[in-house]
Amino acid sequence: MHVLIINGSPRVKKYSNTDKILAKFTEGLTEGGSTFEQYEVSDRGCWDTIRDAFGKNTNILIALPLYVECIPGLLMEFLETLTPKNKDTSIAYILQSGFAEGVQLRCGEAYLKILTEKLGCNYAGTLVKGDNFSIRFFNEDQRDKVTTPYMEMGRIFAKKGDFESEECKKFTGPEIFPLGVRIMVGLVFKTFAKKSFKQVAAEWGCTKPLDYRPYK
Amino acid sequence: MVLIINTTKDTSISEEIRRNISDKGIDAEIIEAGEMRISHCIGCNFCWLKTPGECSVKDDYEQILKRIIHANQMWVISDTALGFIDHKGKNIFDRILPIATMYLTFKGDQMRHVRRYKNTTDIGLIYKGDVEKDFLLRWNERAALNFHSKSLGVFSTDEIKEAASCMC
Repeated sequence: MHVLIINGSPRVKKYSNTDKILAKFTEGLTEGGSTFEQYEVSDRGCWDTIRDAFGKNTNILIALPLYVECIPGLLMEFLETLTPKNKDTSIAYILQSGFAEGVQLRCGEAYLKILTEKLGCNYAGTLVKGDNFSIRFFNEDQRDKVTTPYMEMGRIFAKKGDFESEECKKFTGPEIFPLGVRIMVGLVFKTFAKKSFKQVAAEWGCTKPLDYRPYK
Repeated sequence: MVLIINTTKDTSISEEIRRNISDKGIDAEIIEAGEMRISHCIGCNFCWLKTPGECSVKDDYEQILKRIIHANQMWVISDTALGFIDHKGKNIFDRILPIATMYLTFKGDQMRHVRRYKNTTDIGLIYKGDVEKDFLLRWNERAALNFHSKSLGVFSTDEIKEAASCMC
């Protein structure tokens, strides 16, 4: 199977968490015997090429970060330029977010089904997973821990051509954290996470408190 | 203050709203954003971690952001595409991130960003064209959760009177 992969992140490839996820996913995909071509929506210069590839390919995978409960504005802008196809084409999605719980991504997932219909294609499922915000800040080892599980998903996709299997559905993790976990994670937010964010901010040259109000 | 942001080029929609709220004594401000230079969010996270509260993309959105923080209601008027609001409407929401901080908390049973300003802004949508209305309702409710506010509903441009009745 040959797969057209569209990275729908508005971030440039170098800083794209979605790209880091795709790097592992496509390792598994290739191991599973599939080939692929990948394009980035963040590179407007490629839009003609992606449109052309969308017209020619029948197995399409769109990977994207969740932006305000749905798809990012830039990806929407690109998709608006596509000509809907016939039902010979399948689209699957990798939907990732910063928030960790599965429930946070369900609204976005629901739209992807609508989108597929509007594009005249068959829906081949969505691989849903949160807790990816820190990928860009991690060193290689930490990053691999988060992204390596996507390799197995790539292998499964190469075999089945969709994300409808139980393994893919389980990949999301908990829909909502149990109360005990929420209390513990809430404590981490107020202590360790806060310190880590301040540290990243300092490294980025931030000179103001992170809750600074620039506008009165 | 009720902030109405018209991302379409059809100014007759905002005119109709103006007519419908004229006798209600509402403090309303209408921004015609259809011809404004408003980019998409580039996901740089600078508004959370480098220049807290400020967007790194310098365009016409800044004047909108400065008003949102004083608005108790924000209504976005948008064209539609692919069953949803179009990219110009969506960009208004994506670019709102500076009103949240990087810090996280649990609100109810779900994670949320801690808000930067005390004021909260309820959100409503007015759309021109075809949408999957049930989904749009769901989406607007979810979007409002992110801003610690509530949904005012979604209305087609044939329902301006109904939308205006929710403006206060």
